[in-house]
Amino acid sequence: MAIVKPKKHPPHMDMTPMVDLAFLLLTFFIMTATFKTNDAEVTTPSSVSTIKVPDDKIMIISIDKEGKVFFGVDAQSTRISMLDNIAQSKGVTFTDLEKSKFSLQSSFGFPLNQLKAWLNTPDAQMAQIKQPGIPVDSTGTSELADWVYAARKADPGLRIALKGDNLAKFPVFKDVLGNLQSQNINRFNLITGSEQAPAGFKMD
Amino acid sequence: MSAIVETGGGGGKGDGKVRGKKLSTNVDMTPMVDLGFLLITFFMLATTMSKPTSMTLNVPDKTEKQEETEPLKASKVLTLFLGKNDDVYYLDGVAADDPKAEESLKTTRFGSDLRSVIFNSATRINAANAKDEKGYGAFVCVIKPTVVSTYKNMVDVLDEMAITKSKKYALVDNLTDSEKKLLGDKVKP
Repeated sequence: MAIVKPKKHPPHMDMTPMVDLAFLLLTFFIMTATFKTNDAEVTTPSSVSTIKVPDDKIMIISIDKEGKVFFGVDAQSTRISMLDNIAQSKGVTFTDLEKSKFSLQSSFGFPLNQLKAWLNTPDAQMAQIKQPGIPVDSTGTSELADWVYAARKADPGLRIALKGDNLAKFPVFKDVLGNLQSQNINRFNLITGSEQAPAGFKMD
Repeated sequence: MSAIVETGGGGGKGDGKVRGKKLSTNVDMTPMVDLGFLLITFFMLATTMSKPTSMTLNVPDKTEKQEETEPLKASKVLTLFLGKNDDVYYLDGVAADDPKAEESLKTTRFGSDLRSVIFNSATRINAANAKDEKGYGAFVCVIKPTVVSTYKNMVDVLDEMAITKSKKYALVDNLTDSEKKLLGDKVKP
């Protein structure tokens, strides 16, 4: 008697749903992607506030954990006209190459007299150089105030956001505040992470 | 894995008619799927998901002329001093130059401890005093970050103000002489 062998099929699985899902996810991530920038490492404290940070027309003053101050403006055209303004008021000149390199930096932390040397270093090394931070003091007329003034002159509609590190000491913040207040800026945003509000809390 | 699967194909029926060989319409999707997953991985790693929020801070105008107002009564004020290592010292309804200040200066921590201190103080002061002309309670919180406190401490306290819905609070960064004496070594860097 002949043995009936069942016909062997190679195991086959329908991959279509998985592929569908994968591409759905891909579409989602492409749509929502905002890329990480090479800004100063700042871990912000969190708050229950639900107001989102505006995406555009914003200048960000960052304070890192050692108390160094960094400054950045979002739009590239504003960065160039800001540099022009500060060059004019301080009597420094920047070449077109330096300007275009400056416009690519999302934030920087150099005193004005070291900025030129930094912009002239090769691109690959720029990220590695340790930035000393923008000088800030309690008089309210330090270089940070000049930058803020130059940026506002370049685009008067700029909003001001402060991004401080958890471990930054309060006196640095106070100095930054003094620099802003000396220019009559009395309203700004503190960038924080979001956290869950305690149970039963309703924002009004 | 990436072999093109050829299925079907005409011929072999033997019914005499000449048929063109049917080409398979099955396209191998594997490379596309590979690329898809590669892109997913890339975007997942490169994207920053949680968008930061912001809290608005309004500070009083320095250049504007200050109207003469009545000095705050210490009995309506909770004063919070932000010290080192995330400690908070507080004076509840007592002025720093009061002889009782030394013994009423207490220490608390951030989080629910601080919140209940603020809540208790606000409830007590608002119950004992009438509402002001704008309809707010009499409770005022004075926040004094000292030189040893961090930026996080300040943001946390401002956040507590939002959580406890304390509408009247002030951020004051200089200590008076009696406060310096009271806090002593606690605020030395």
